[in-house]
Amino acid sequence: MPAFEYRQAEEIRDAFARHRIRYLFIGKSGAILLGFPDTTQDADLFVERTAENGRALAQSLRELGFALTDAQASEIERGKDFIQLKNGPFDLDLIFAPDGIARFSDAWARHIEVEGFPVCHIDDIIASKAATNRQKDRESLPRLRAFREYWIGRPR
Amino acid sequence: MSVRDALTKEQVNRAADIPPEWLEEFEAAARRPLALRMRYAFIHTYKPVLDDATYRSFETMEEYRRWCEKNLPMWLGYARL
Repeated sequence: MPAFEYRQAEEIRDAFARHRIRYLFIGKSGAILLGFPDTTQDADLFVERTAENGRALAQSLRELGFALTDAQASEIERGKDFIQLKNGPFDLDLIFAPDGIARFSDAWARHIEVEGFPVCHIDDIIASKAATNRQKDRESLPRLRAFREYWIGRPR
Repeated sequence: MSVRDALTKEQVNRAADIPPEWLEEFEAAARRPLALRMRYAFIHTYKPVLDDATYRSFETMEEYRRWCEKNLPMWLGYARL
């Protein structure tokens, strides 16, 4: 599987916009969209858990080329907390209940648009990683927090 | 002109605690277009176990975290501390 590309991010953005899907880039992929210089492998999407959003998401993923069985599409529509997709043109993690963020609406209210990409605020990205508290998150947090200080003070 | 010379006073105050090498990297990234930033950022390396299935789903995040801790090599860094 080749690395995730800008063109594929655009495909997500455009397909999800057509289907009016409510989602946010989160995790390190979200931080990278905000300007954080680091490396990652997957795109992580925080998706609002509603029946309508779930149906649109499953349909949109199939249009993007993900080979979803009916059972898998049903799980996406239902919004299981975490779904890992490696059956499409790129790897994608769908997160319906990220650690450290109480409600999608809270994150949406704070979100940032970067070239049309909806991205979690850096504070939510940091809160989520801090709450997860895995070794790999713990290692990336000091640099992410330093980036936050830089990013907050930077004119946009 | 150095990076610090180009910053406002408030930015200098905020930037004061940022290690200089990180600050340089943040500034350099900010000068790159998004498409280039993404080309530098997204990489692919094989992750054992994690990459061996085309689809996984978990009812709760706790279930996912426990699965990672039980099934993934420690060195991948997915275990909680």
